[in-house]
Amino acid sequence: MTFDGWFIAGAIVGVASSIVCFVAAVMRKKPNDITILSLAAVELFLLVYAVASAIRLAGPESLVGEAWEFWGYMFTAAMLPVAGFYWAMMERTHWSNYVMGAVGVTVAVMLARMAQIWYGTAAQAPAAAHALLPLHLGLGL
Amino acid sequence: MRTTEPATTAPHGRTSGAGRLLITVYAIFAVSATARAGLQIATQFADAPVAYLLSAFAAVVYIVATVALAKPGHRWALVATVALCVELLGVLVVGAMSVFDPAVFPHATVWSMFGRGYGFVPLLLPIIGLIWLYRHRDAK
Repeated sequence: MTFDGWFIAGAIVGVASSIVCFVAAVMRKKPNDITILSLAAVELFLLVYAVASAIRLAGPESLVGEAWEFWGYMFTAAMLPVAGFYWAMMERTHWSNYVMGAVGVTVAVMLARMAQIWYGTAAQAPAAAHALLPLHLGLGL
Repeated sequence: MRTTEPATTAPHGRTSGAGRLLITVYAIFAVSATARAGLQIATQFADAPVAYLLSAFAAVVYIVATVALAKPGHRWALVATVALCVELLGVLVVGAMSVFDPAVFPHATVWSMFGRGYGFVPLLLPIIGLIWLYRHRDAK
């Protein structure tokens, strides 16, 4: 299993967004500019990743897995920050930040699965990747 | 740091506050379980029809639980309670069977090994949800 720069960058953005939102939630803060912008950063990354992936696939690169599965993940992941924001804003309490925090980690796990679809699941996976594998399989993502 | 935001404004209804986080987690499980079951049934149904039908059943339970938890009213609270009991029963029975007789479930489902693949969240979720419903049993 190969993790490229796209996955690493996306996982950092997603996990960082979750940490920001969870810390704000623990501090019992309502969603503010910082937590909302961290969610926007996740969405921005996914949009850039989608455009870049389309350009790469239009060129010589190709997916190991199914294209419709990859784009299904991309679409679902891109909907998550929007849905999370909408659900969080309907009732603005500190719980809204927990809701928004759930988006980042979920997107990070989905990006891991998208990397699997892109590069395939090699049998010679490194130890760290093995530790992550049950999570990917379990989430069915 | 602004300290003007009162910390005690969180509403206390069944579908408010922490309840919205519970609904969020159920919604994520509903989407991922539905996508997974759909994918399994569409691409490799013949390999393990029982396991994949079980995945589809689990997906339906998560969808019903998500909707019922989000809707106010006693009737929806009852639907949510039934859905969460079915979910708890499912994860316990399938989890136990997959541990003691792995041959029955060679293909993973959400509830295999008590939801180990999901970080045991499928086992904890109905327990937390039922506690939540019990604590809000009188709420409208």
